[in-house]
Parts: sequence; structure tokens; C-alpha cells
Amino acid sequence: MTDQTTARHTEANVVLRQVGKPLERTDAEGKATGRTRYAGDYTMPGMLHAKVLRSDIASGKLKRLDASKARALPGVTAILTAEDLPDRLAATDMPGQTGQKRAATDRQILVREIIRHHGEPLALIAAETPAIADKAHDLIEYEIEPLPGVYETSAALQAGAPVVTEPDNIVGEHKIRKGDTEKGFAEADHIIENTFHTQFIEHAFLEPEVGLAWVDENGVINIRMSTQVIEHFRFIADAMGVPHNKVRILGAMVGGGFGGKEDITVELYLALLAQATRRPVRLAYTREDSFVGHGKRHPFDITHKTGVTKDGKITALEVTIRADSGAYVFLSPYVLLYCAVAAPGPYRIDNVKIDSKAIATNNMYTSAFRGFGAAQACVAYEAQMDEIAKAISIDRFELRRHNFMRTGDKTATGQTVESAIWSDKCMTQALAALGEPTNAEGPVKVGRGVATYQQSYGRITWFHDTAEAWVGIEVDGTVIVRSGVTDIGAGQASALGQIAAELLGVGLDDVVVYNSDSAVTPLAGTTTATRALYMTGRAAHKASEILRGRLVEFAASELGVRPEDVDLANGQAFVIDNPESAMSLKDLAARGASEGLQRSELAMFRAPFTDPIDEETGQGPVFPDFTYGCHAVEVAVDTETGEVTVLKSVGAHDIGQAINPQAVEGQIEGGALMGQGYALSEELIYQEGKLVSPSFSEYLIPTSMDMPEIKSIILESRSGLGPFGAKGIGEPSLTPVAPAIANAIADAIGTRVFDLPITPEKIVRALREADENA
Amino acid sequence: MLREFELDLPGDLQETLTRLPGGTPLAGGTNLLVDLRARREEAKRLVWLGNIEAFRDIKIDKAHVAIGGGTTVGDILRNSAMIDAAPSLVGAARVFGGQMVRNQATVAGNVCSGSPAADTVPPLLSLDAEICLASSTGVRSVPIDSFYSGFKKNQRKQDELITGLSWSVPGPSTANLFYKLARRKGDAITVVGVAVTVTRDGDRCSDARIALGAVAPTVFRAKDAEAMLTDQPLTEELIDEAARAAMAQSNPIDDIRASADYRRHTVHMLTRRLIGQAWRSLAGKEADK
Repeated sequence: MTDQTTARHTEANVVLRQVGKPLERTDAEGKATGRTRYAGDYTMPGMLHAKVLRSDIASGKLKRLDASKARALPGVTAILTAEDLPDRLAATDMPGQTGQKRAATDRQILVREIIRHHGEPLALIAAETPAIADKAHDLIEYEIEPLPGVYETSAALQAGAPVVTEPDNIVGEHKIRKGDTEKGFAEADHIIENTFHTQFIEHAFLEPEVGLAWVDENGVINIRMSTQVIEHFRFIADAMGVPHNKVRILGAMVGGGFGGKEDITVELYLALLAQATRRPVRLAYTREDSFVGHGKRHPFDITHKTGVTKDGKITALEVTIRADSGAYVFLSPYVLLYCAVAAPGPYRIDNVKIDSKAIATNNMYTSAFRGFGAAQACVAYEAQMDEIAKAISIDRFELRRHNFMRTGDKTATGQTVESAIWSDKCMTQALAALGEPTNAEGPVKVGRGVATYQQSYGRITWFHDTAEAWVGIEVDGTVIVRSGVTDIGAGQASALGQIAAELLGVGLDDVVVYNSDSAVTPLAGTTTATRALYMTGRAAHKASEILRGRLVEFAASELGVRPEDVDLANGQAFVIDNPESAMSLKDLAARGASEGLQRSELAMFRAPFTDPIDEETGQGPVFPDFTYGCHAVEVAVDTETGEVTVLKSVGAHDIGQAINPQAVEGQIEGGALMGQGYALSEELIYQEGKLVSPSFSEYLIPTSMDMPEIKSIILESRSGLGPFGAKGIGEPSLTPVAPAIANAIADAIGTRVFDLPITPEKIVRALREADENA
Repeated sequence: MLREFELDLPGDLQETLTRLPGGTPLAGGTNLLVDLRARREEAKRLVWLGNIEAFRDIKIDKAHVAIGGGTTVGDILRNSAMIDAAPSLVGAARVFGGQMVRNQATVAGNVCSGSPAADTVPPLLSLDAEICLASSTGVRSVPIDSFYSGFKKNQRKQDELITGLSWSVPGPSTANLFYKLARRKGDAITVVGVAVTVTRDGDRCSDARIALGAVAPTVFRAKDAEAMLTDQPLTEELIDEAARAAMAQSNPIDDIRASADYRRHTVHMLTRRLIGQAWRSLAGKEADK
């Protein structure tokens, strides 16, 4: 799928020796040869096998739970029920944060009485073999009295609705007020209003949740697992009632996260069972377990009411947002905030009014998912742009150009964007890359669509985010990097190696990166929020730069020149104007060691710190910075059957500076695939809160036969806050894809499907309705 | 986790047939093992068919095709003569499951599963295939058109094995097409499957077959529609009328993949399209004569 002729556009011609090159990543060989150990590959002598018993209904009261037959089964070591646990809750928040209604909304570890969603855990089992654990699972007897549940956000807000979260099912609210929308609408020639709906979707990472826990000789609960967030060790300790330094989470290479391994998954169950049995315990979710075992992407209903002049200037925007948070709050308030802040898109609009609510239901809880609310916002605002263009008969690309924020403009919350805003450049290049239009024949219609976006990278600035990294040079001149960052498959660890190699004048081959151990590697925060490269990369950059300074100074004195005359490259320290005068890093490090030179540095990088935004107006800075870009597609739609074929798919993003362009292409291609599934085929279907599509035969991810070649265009403004001016691409690569496809379909068939996924059946229905209205 | 079961490993066909009473034949296992794991299937004893000699043989001569009961969907694709011997079956094999499933699943197993969405069945119906059934007491042949009796019900007796399928090679005046409508292009369960056979004699259609999948409790032939086309010149109007008749004969359900209404609509569209394509492709051949 990779187009080998990646276009790269760099503003300034800076000499970089390691960064910006498609080097073979440090994790490539191990993955290609199968030697990489994932969390599921670890075993220990005497290891037990765990299983989770879950509720198969969404709303009910647990009347009776009898594990006596299961406990009596030979080979069963432990069955834990709520009665066996301390009466503590499990945090559903981010490490270091306090949610809007945290105390009231944490989650019970196991059901004590009330069941709030399908799949809520009832009991934990540990047994000598997986087969015995399975048998024990079937031997636990229980009786559930169904209770009336609430499964639609509109129903959950009505008086007398079942209360999932006290007092009113509202788990998050955000407002944004800018300018005067009444005045703005008065200035408008047209007012266009539409409501867009997005669906529940599944992260569908290749590697289901898995881990292995044991209590060591110091009484520390060790958990080796697949996670995006090793810093949940604190929440695990809190839930267990042990000191924080008695829980350690060790990561492994992670087989995909996408936000689905951002919350606590298997680690708390593993910790409880390891503590109860004092034996190593392994818990590996099946795919079916994974479908019901972790939170999903929030469905949103987003209404845009836009005022626009006849020549296409947007004068006012009102947005109403509703998100289904499911049965527990988890990260809903933050996802909602991201959606509200993103809702105006990459456009400069002077009069804005946004109201948003996250609402509890008895559906599966919803939480982080790549794009984190901002992706749903883009589905709405970019479809709305095309609807505006259609309504006022103006070119949809010109409408965007007319309203794009430009570098130096403020967001709707009044935050000045310090970095480059290259939306126009990205859109122009993406459109050009679509090339000549494909011919349409008979009932098949061809259409094109774009979506542009504004997507934050880095966490909310009042979280006061920090990251640490340690960089050291060995006496033979090789380099070691240590950082807690979890590598979820995008090359998060390898990027740190590339940064250290650049600054210390070695090759990536000369660097080894140790990562993802909450007790041993310096804590670097989460691999979420498109922050890993930005935050950890800056920490590694800072540590490397300090170390580089010491090495250069020492080399200068050895070579008898000033430090500013010395550079490090190709494993050597050399005099810039006289490269013959040089010494190898090996000699330099060895000499330095004998002279007591400090050959390592631990550095912390701090993101910008701000106070929370104003609650009534939403005014204030929210994020460190934003990525801008565009995805463009061409589709063919069979108007008789409604089938859609994506013919061309182009992502053009200003990512500031590519550390490894091949890894960036990987993100753009992965985003294109995931976004195509979001647009066309992926949907978790819940009936009365029960998941009725719990397998990959019903949950339809695009296959290689569904995907076109994806073209990646990397633009580099070098204006970002990340290392070497990098911005983030993890989430942004996904965000514009689904709305671009939706717009292309609307362009092809002349009418729009307002709710994702845009299935063939919905297209046929929309065409029929358009026909009837015509 | 997979249920426990006994596994019989008979060495040849005769031994297999003696073991079948009370047992469940296991070929590719792409349905059976999945169903056992999901606890939808109760089979206690499986009889492995992998040791039967020459069970995957494909014999194609000028007029006839015969495939062994162990022929996989992948075998159909890898046999270059099959594209003329069974164009619709090759079309179905191309979009059958994913590569790993195609390499494992057998055509006979797909026929036997009786799912209305079984992709090889509409093509085999459109080709008037014969099913060869054997038991330890004898051998019989059943036309596939009379094989199915209801949802996942068919004429195979519990102790019988499908040892092969056969059909006639379509002649030069015959076109045979298949289309699978699904929610995605690869590895998907069929929403509507349509196979058509049209034989042209001068300006008339001398014979027609229309087999529809996933729109009734079993795959079936839309015989009302077939009759409307037989011995007629195929005008656009007549083709559309026949396609509507095929739609009228469909009796689909609503499920999470599609509504009954959408399935009926696409039966109309796809039948019209395929018959039209088949007829027009033969017009060229007629002109060449």
C-alpha cells in the first residue's frame, strides 16, 4: 500500500544526520523475525491461569452468586467475588488527574449488587490450567434480576429515567462562548443546520489484553502486561490498599492500543489474584473477552447551526454536542472537552457558542479512542462545510480557504496558535495528488471529498504534563536511553534512539532503548494524546543535549579548540573547520570516564502549564499546540446496490518534522484504514445494552481487498513544540479520513447520509428519499 | 475454549463410511471447529476426512466436471481449467472468506453446511450440479436443486458423506455469472448472492437459471423468473420484469447485516444486472458465429 515516492516539504534546509531519515527502526528486526516478546509471550514456573466471569445482561441486580462448586473443582486455586474484596473502587481517570465527578463515578471492581453494563465482571478465577479455569467459569452459579435500563442519551435525560450515575446521568458538561452569535447570525445571509451521528466502534488492536503478575521477594506486585499506561500502578495500589511503591508495571512491546489500553484493563484482576494466591498468574483475553472487556468510542450526536454570508464567510456557529458515556464515566469528560474545543474545526469564526454533555446510559462504557472526541467533531464540521457550500452554491474548497485559520490566529477558546497553520497547503497538495478523475459508468458514480482538521497533540495544559528520559554513553562510545514510554507499535522507543543518535553523533545501531518499566525507567507519562514523541522526545532531546554539551566541552579541551568549534558525527568528535583533527567517541568516553566526566543525564521536559479554562465561557488555552492537515479521497458508489469503493486515498499533514518518515507513513496509512472502517463498515451494535456483534465476522474492519493504495504527503514546517520542531501525527492521521469519505460519497450521489457508518443500505435509502423529494 | 470431543482418523473411504454413523465429518473445520468453540455445536465425535485417497481430485473433460468431496475452495481457484468449466463457481471462490479459509474449507462442506449464505451453492445451483452421496450401504446421486429442504436442512443422511460433485461444462452459447454483495469486499458474510446462467439460441434465451443466496431459508432457484426468460428474446423490459419476479420469490430476513427490504431491492438490481451482462456477452459470441 505504501507509495514509495513520498513527497517531503521542508521549510528550512537544516542538516540532520539521523533525524528525518527512514532508518530501520530498533523494533523492526525483532518483529520481522518473530523474536519480539509481547506480554503474552512471558511465562513463569508455577503460573496459574485466570478468567473473568461477566454479566451477560446490561442492567440488573445480582441476587445470588455461588462459587462453591467451582471452588470444589480440582485445580481451581482461587475464585474472587466482591465479598472477597475490600470495598474499594477502581479509578476510571487519568493518572494524576481528578475528573469532574470522580468520587461518585469510579467503578466497582467486581459487581457487589448492581450491574450497569453488559460484561461487567462478577468473579475472578485462577486455576492450574486454562481448561480448568474455563470449567470453573461454567460452574459458578448466579442469578440476576433484570432492572429497567436506559440505552439512549435522550431517554437518559428525561425525568424519571433510570439513574445510572447520580443524580441526573450527566457525567460531563462543557461550554464555549466567543463573541456574539446573535449578532453573527444577524449578519448571515444563510443559516444552515444539520445533525450528524457517529457510532460505537472498537479499537480492534491485533493483540487482545494480556498480562502476567507475581508478588516478588520484597512483597512488590509485579505486572508484566500490554498497556499504554504503566503509570496505572498508582491506581492499582490505591484499589488494593498498598503503598504505591509496592506495585510495579512492566510493559512489553504492545500490539496496538488506539486508546483501548489507556484505561485499566487486566492489571487489577492480575494483581488481586497474584496477591490472593501468592503465585504467578496469567490472564489473556480472548477476542470475545476483549470485545466486552474494554471501553469503546463514544457515539456522538452533533448539531451544527452555521451562519454564512453569500460570499462564504462564516459569521456565527452554534454547536450542540451529546455523547453517550455508557455505564461508567472513565474519560468521558475529557473526550467531551476535546470534541467541544475541536468543534469549530480549523476555521476562524468570531462568534461561537458550544454546549456539550456526556450522558450515562447502560451501554458499554466509552472512553479513549484515537482522535478522542476531536475525530467525532471533524465528522460533523467537515460534513457541514460541504453542506454549506452546497446550500449557497459555492466551491467547497474555496469555502474552506475563505475561512481557514492562518498562522497566528486564535482558536475558539482564545488560544493563540504559535505554530504554523498549513491547512491550505495540505489541502492543495492532497487534492493535486488525487490526479485525473476516474471515469464513471452506468449506475456507478464517482465523487471526491476532503476533510481538513485541527487536532491537538499533547495533553490538556492544566494537567501540567511532564516526561523524563535518561541518556548515557558507555565507555565504548555506545549509547543507552531509558524512558518509561510504552511502545504501542508506532516506533515510540525507536524515535528516542534516533533523537539521541542525532545529538550524540552516533548511528541508530549504536543506541539501545530501554522503556516501559514503572520502577526502573524514568517515568515518561502515557502513550496517549499524541504526546509520546512530543513529550518523551523532548525529554530525550534535553538529556542528549546536556550530555552532548559535556562531551563537546571535554573533546574541545582534548583537541585544544573552543567547544563551539567541535561537532559530533559518525562516532567521532571533530573540529568543524578541520575534520582531520578528531577523536573517536569511544576514546572520548573512555578518557572522560577516567577523568570522572558524568556520562549520563536524567532530564525532565515540562509541557506548557496553564490554569483550567473558564467554566462559563470556555476561554483560555487548552492544549500545547495543534497539528493541521488534510485527507482527500475519491470514491465510486454503485447507486443500485449502495456499494462504495474507495479508489484513491491521500493524507497530507504538516507534522513539523518527521523523525522517521517511514514511521509517519505507517501512521498515515493506518489512519486511512481505520478511518475508512469508521466511515463505511465498523459498528458495534448494542441491543438493550447487549453487544450483538462480538466477533470479527460481524465487526467489519477493512481488508486488504477494500483498501486502495494510500499516498502519504509529509509537510514539515518545523514549527511544532516537539523535538526538532515536530508536531504529532498519531491521532491526526485518522481524524479527517471518515469525513473525507462521507463528503466524497455525498459528492458522488448528490445527497448525504448523516450517520456513520455509511452502509450500502443507508446509501440506497438516501437515494430513494432524495428521489421521492425531487 | 473448544469443547472436548473424540477424533476418529480413519485411513480410507470405506473405513470412513463405517465410522460415520453417530459421528460428524470433519473436513476443513472452518464452520465446525468455530461452532464447537462457540458452543453452538454439540458434536461429540468427529471423523477426519483428510486421509481419503484422491479426495481432492478434480476431473475436467470437454463436457463434464467432477470434483472430489475434499476439494477446497482454494483448489477451485488454482485449477486453470475451472474458469471455463464453472465461471460462477470461480467467481464465488474468489470472494469466499479469506485466503486461510479458502485453503481449508471444502466445497462439499460448504454445500453441506446448508447456510443460506453459503457462497458456492448459488453457482452450483446455476450449473445444475449433482451431489454424490455415499454410505457404507451404497451410493446415490441427488440433484442440488432438490438437496435442500429447509434452513440448514438437507437430504444428506447422518451416515452419508458427500464424496463428490459434478456438473456439465457450459457450452459456448452459455454465460454463467456470480455476484456476491457484502458489507465489505474481503472476508465477509454474504448479504445477497446471485448466480445466473443464460443460454442463447439466436435471438432467444433457450434456457435460464437464477440462483439466489441469503434471501430465503435456503439458497434457491427463482423458477418463476427463469420461466419468464425461457424461449424469449431478452429485452431490457423483460429482464427487469424477471428480476422483479426473482425479488418476489425471495423471502429474506432482517439481520445485523441488512434489512429484508434492502435484500429484496438488491435481488432486483443484481439479477437484472447479471442477466443483462450474460445476455450481452452472448450477443458478441452470436455475432462471431
